[in-house]
Amino acid sequence: MVVLAMVALLLGILCGNVIIPEQLVDSIFHASDYILYVLMFCVGISIGMNKMVFHKIKEYHVKIFIIPLGIMIGSIIGGACSVLLLDLPFHECIAVASGLGWYSLTGILLSNLGGATIGTIGFLSNLMREILSFLMIPYIAKKLNHFTAIAPAAATSEDTTLYVIMKSTSEEVAIMAVFNGVICSAMVPILIKLCYMIFL
Amino acid sequence: MQIIIIMSFGFIIGYFIFPKKWKGYNERLQIILTALLIFSMGVHLGSRKDLWQEIISIGWESIVLCVLPILASIVVVYALSILVFQNKKRRKDKGK
Repeated sequence: MVVLAMVALLLGILCGNVIIPEQLVDSIFHASDYILYVLMFCVGISIGMNKMVFHKIKEYHVKIFIIPLGIMIGSIIGGACSVLLLDLPFHECIAVASGLGWYSLTGILLSNLGGATIGTIGFLSNLMREILSFLMIPYIAKKLNHFTAIAPAAATSEDTTLYVIMKSTSEEVAIMAVFNGVICSAMVPILIKLCYMIFL
Repeated sequence: MQIIIIMSFGFIIGYFIFPKKWKGYNERLQIILTALLIFSMGVHLGSRKDLWQEIISIGWESIVLCVLPILASIVVVYALSILVFQNKKRRKDKGK
């Protein structure tokens, strides 16, 4: 997935820079809204099909919300701390951090909210989060604990990084990872817009 | 808001109607759509005149906004997991 994402990005940059005429660029960018809607519909289907998530919610009760809550709070704190190192406004830093690893959605949402530059920062930093997660999960599961291994993956814990989480931890933690991914994914569009609008 | 409504429609269809045998097609379609989204972002990015200069400055910002949120979420989740899950386990073990 990461390789495909990098190839699509580089191919897009090349086409935009060399091949595609300027008039077509805007049309392609507007079409991406519709692509996003279809993607969200498909993600909704995937979440709806995963009925095991609901059984696990009953078993863990309210405690199952601890991990996604911790990830969201931690990510926003990390975004807030980034202001000290970067020449970016506070609302943009926490909005980028609120992407929780969902790079495609973060890129599009932030491009629409604040322009192409912040959209690209949102895209790249969240893409890096997914890439780093693959490398960090086994180490965190070994050195800290199984629950914490879900933290770097954030919203990607229900799909791309799930296999690594399951392999490094247990099936029970993998189910929690799916639930975490569902909650984080549902919260990403809300968090990005809230963080961007409230602290603007 | 539109995204949440569309996602909810998908959820209802996935929960009640969507056939299990089409699960693979749905997943493949998601990969294709994600690639198309990223491609369209790349096109938009590539059409910018000062692209390479921007990438140099964006690179550092992207790294900071990737690493700090990851580290902070690891710290918060680790602290919460010890408080909530491991204390519960300890209580259970004492009960035995």
